[in-house]
Amino acid sequence: MKRILVSSLSLAGVVCLVVAGKALYSRDHGQTPAVEAALPDPDLSLDVNGITGPESHKTHNPGNFQQQALPLLEHHCVRCHGRASPKGNVSLVFADETAAKAVPAVWTMVLQVIDSGQMPPPERPRPPEFELQPFRDWVRAVVAAAGSTGRPLRRLNRAEYNNTVHDLLGTTLRPADDFPADDSGEGFDNLAQVLSISPTHIEIYLSAADSLIENARTQPEMWRRLSTPPVQDFIPFVLRGAPPEKAEAVKGVQAGPQDADAVARAKEIDRAYYALQAFADRAYRRPITHQEMYRLMSFVDQALSSGEVVDVGLARAFKAVLVCPHFLFRMELGRPEKAKGNGWEDFELAARLSYFLWSTMPDEELFRVAANRELAHPAVLNAQIRRMLKDSRSHALAVNFAGQWLQIRALAEVTRDPALFPEFNDDLRSAMLQETEEFFEHVVRTDQSALDLLLGDFTFVNEKLARHYGITGVVGSEFCRVSLAGTARAGLLTHASILTVTAGATRTSPTKRGRWILDNVLGTPPMSPPPGVDTLAKKVEGKMTTRQRFELHRSRADCAACHARMDALGYGLEEFGSTGGWRQRDEDGLVDATGVLPDGVTFHGAKELRAELAKHPAEFVRCLTQKLLIYALGRPLTPADQGALDAIVQLAARQNYRFSSLVIALIRSRPFRELSPPLAGNP
Amino acid sequence: MTKHNCSRRSALRGIGVSIALPFLESWFLRKAVASPAEPARRLIYLYAPNGKLMKDWSPAARGPMSELPPLLRALEPWRKELRVISGLSLRPATPGNDGPGDHARAMATFLTGVRPRKTSGADVQAGVSIDQVAAAAVGNKTRLPSLELGCEGGKSAGICDNGYSCAYQTNLSWRSPQAPMPKEINPRVVFERLFGSGNDAATREAASKRDIEHRSILDFVAQDTRDVRKRLGRQDQVKLDEYLTSLREVEARIQRAQPVAAVGDQKVQKPIGIPSDFREHARQLIDLQVVAFQADLTRISTFVLGNDGSNRSYREVGVSEGHHDTSHHGNEAAKLEKLRRINLLHVEQLAYLLGKLASIREGEQTLLDRCLVVYGSGIRDGDRHDHDDLPILLAGAGSALPGRGEHLAYPVGTPLCNLHLTLLDWIGARNPRFGDSTGQLL
Repeated sequence: MKRILVSSLSLAGVVCLVVAGKALYSRDHGQTPAVEAALPDPDLSLDVNGITGPESHKTHNPGNFQQQALPLLEHHCVRCHGRASPKGNVSLVFADETAAKAVPAVWTMVLQVIDSGQMPPPERPRPPEFELQPFRDWVRAVVAAAGSTGRPLRRLNRAEYNNTVHDLLGTTLRPADDFPADDSGEGFDNLAQVLSISPTHIEIYLSAADSLIENARTQPEMWRRLSTPPVQDFIPFVLRGAPPEKAEAVKGVQAGPQDADAVARAKEIDRAYYALQAFADRAYRRPITHQEMYRLMSFVDQALSSGEVVDVGLARAFKAVLVCPHFLFRMELGRPEKAKGNGWEDFELAARLSYFLWSTMPDEELFRVAANRELAHPAVLNAQIRRMLKDSRSHALAVNFAGQWLQIRALAEVTRDPALFPEFNDDLRSAMLQETEEFFEHVVRTDQSALDLLLGDFTFVNEKLARHYGITGVVGSEFCRVSLAGTARAGLLTHASILTVTAGATRTSPTKRGRWILDNVLGTPPMSPPPGVDTLAKKVEGKMTTRQRFELHRSRADCAACHARMDALGYGLEEFGSTGGWRQRDEDGLVDATGVLPDGVTFHGAKELRAELAKHPAEFVRCLTQKLLIYALGRPLTPADQGALDAIVQLAARQNYRFSSLVIALIRSRPFRELSPPLAGNP
Repeated sequence: MTKHNCSRRSALRGIGVSIALPFLESWFLRKAVASPAEPARRLIYLYAPNGKLMKDWSPAARGPMSELPPLLRALEPWRKELRVISGLSLRPATPGNDGPGDHARAMATFLTGVRPRKTSGADVQAGVSIDQVAAAAVGNKTRLPSLELGCEGGKSAGICDNGYSCAYQTNLSWRSPQAPMPKEINPRVVFERLFGSGNDAATREAASKRDIEHRSILDFVAQDTRDVRKRLGRQDQVKLDEYLTSLREVEARIQRAQPVAAVGDQKVQKPIGIPSDFREHARQLIDLQVVAFQADLTRISTFVLGNDGSNRSYREVGVSEGHHDTSHHGNEAAKLEKLRRINLLHVEQLAYLLGKLASIREGEQTLLDRCLVVYGSGIRDGDRHDHDDLPILLAGAGSALPGRGEHLAYPVGTPLCNLHLTLLDWIGARNPRFGDSTGQLL
């Protein structure tokens, strides 16, 4: 195979070289890629149709509101959720089927509260299954028909920028630490719509590009790699679009060795061309087109024509790449549905994987399988996902996903009165954070069941945290794994990090803890307080115990509905103080850790709470998957995603929720795979 | 999490690079000709979170203030320059049908007068803020149309006030209803944005070379952006337009000539990071802010002392509990005292700013005379989350506006936006209405 190197561009009279022979990579479409494991891959038997979710429903008859939904609503719901002043401000009375179908989000919520046992309330009878099943079918069909919002254009957030320039350049600089803070939505700071761009961003991208490239030029090792890149930095040869006309004209012209200078110069330009191509390929996370190269090379041309050396122009071109939207945004332009795809969709999938699991650009191996178009093979895709989860870079998932899902990043903002909590200092604060990150990372990298996050009777502590927990035998600041068997602790729920961020400044808060469990474990967040409710603390009269103070919430009917769920759940963690230490007494005397779950089951203490939660593993896994999906997609979920969400959980259940099976099912689901919204046409 | 790199002012003074202003003057003068007909007017908004202890804030009587209320004592040297305005309200921040979330709404409406959409997700929508309206009118005269500074960055965890996106609670300034102007909290980064990285001759020459290089890079990038834009869906085009607009603005900034007013011979230190001490942090930013006004690098500014709902602890004044926790004082004496100290600390930063501005001569006047400083909060009483009769104070503008040295009492419910409208007029950007305004004030 021959490669034609086009380099002369606008430099008059300069030659174009034809390099014969060795291609940097060879591709062989006929060859089946090797599968790493000899054992059959359980995820290969995934029912992909199931994963694609709602589409399978779409073919069904959307159903009949009168027959499938109305009977249940009339028997069980409208008494409270009628037309006039409905409870919780939710009315389930609709003029006709069209009106009912117009609010898919309402139906998602209705189904959720019924399935989780919140509704009907305990004193009312539960709908029989023969009414529930047709109702579920109807809701799912409505929700699926509502459609989704695809994959919106997303810029790199601060963590992703830092990681990406690290991998791209090999730099230790972290320019994004100085960038304006990224705003968050749905609890995550990687949501496409929320990551805005202001002039300040442009200025700061320019100055970051300056310092990164100027720093690289002062480091011989780094600059050598960038200006004469090694073979592995080249993305294998794929379609780069049509070469520009100007270059076309000189293509194939043999180097006529006029003089030594011209040849040397041509060689220099050639070197620059390949250095730039390798850099831009990796920076754009897909092959750069000839057209784009042609424009980028103008920086080199201009440098030469103003008497500067090639590397000056090269550096300038590198900077331009780092300010380009193709680098700063996760641009997705691949269109496989066209008769002839441009071959980019594989690279785009690779980038989806790498930013999801590693918060950074694809590595060499991922680029290679993308270029060889192997990611379409389920075995290769699964093997890559497993490799990525095992890799140390999946630490990013612990820091950026778990850190936000569990809200433990808020530890940085926690304040405690040193007089009341002498143990709480910055060492303990960072140890708390690290425990949870290490624990999560362990489950990910060793491919434990996701249920271990909830139930695992082990954790990671250093001496400081071990003392806080009353665990003996751990010395030094290094973290090590310890067994929690026989203690009250197990799983995330008893991590000091979570117990601390869900406590108040001076005492524990059953409301916050209960709410945290509803939000992040059960996936049934309470409604916002209705308008007109004064959420500010009731005035405390005389000396009241924590429980008495929180019982005040229930003295008003409009508060009681939600607080009964939040507070009752939170009481179950009362054996842990405001900084997560174990206690039998609080300021009021002996602690009463009797709690009640939303479905009415009473439990005592964290251990029984876990046992109860373990009876419905799919609830927790669904909640985790929901958060993971928001994080992976960079957008809020819509009702249309619910079918895929259910399918992912069901598929993972077949393998006892092994973390990799969850991630594989997620990555193979329709929401993860679907394209950005369609072309706008000509604006 | 933000890194706190330095702690002591003295260390910083020793290490920091400094720029003598006469140099700045010549640098920014470049080809520009000095002596504009009338010295420029400047406008700055200082935001203090979580309301005030109103009984110690409000003057007893209306009219000329012969003495200042307890919380404002630090402002005594400028008593005759102040206008304490009571009765102003932010009705778009009230719960309405949106339920709780007063902190998010307070901050999001303070400069916009528009009720923000209640969402924790992607579809944030506030309004264009007053500073950006002003910047659109007069910003083209300076290198930076506006400057956004603050002492507190984004939240580390993405959960904010009762179902409102954190964007509402961390941004005071909004360029469009969807696009906030993020604030800069790192004094070193502010310094570099204003002055480049250093002051030696080589750096200065490099700065002008860099401007040329940046223009060529931005040209390239703009072309690339336009090319790719055609291939995107409508929603993505909107996002890319945000990027393209920002590109153009930075291009224009680089090209803009710099008319510079006369500046003194004081020095600005190059800070080395974010001080952990609040006072030190605020003062470094204020120093830079004042120089940015002085050198006419910008005329419009917003300065966030703390995000609304902030739970920062102020150990500088012996308060280790969070500000927000403390603001829900329930009339407990100990909490009231702590809250008073935080209120005083914030007002003290205003005093520092006024002192700086007053110390700089601009022709016959001081910089303070050419400046309007607005200080206030979008919540009245942090324990009650109300948005009527807000704590609002005006300083500066010399005699260009009436009511100097007075307590001006308006009927409760008068829109804060009426004040915004007056200030727009003053800065030279007269508008018929803004937010929920009903007419001009003063």
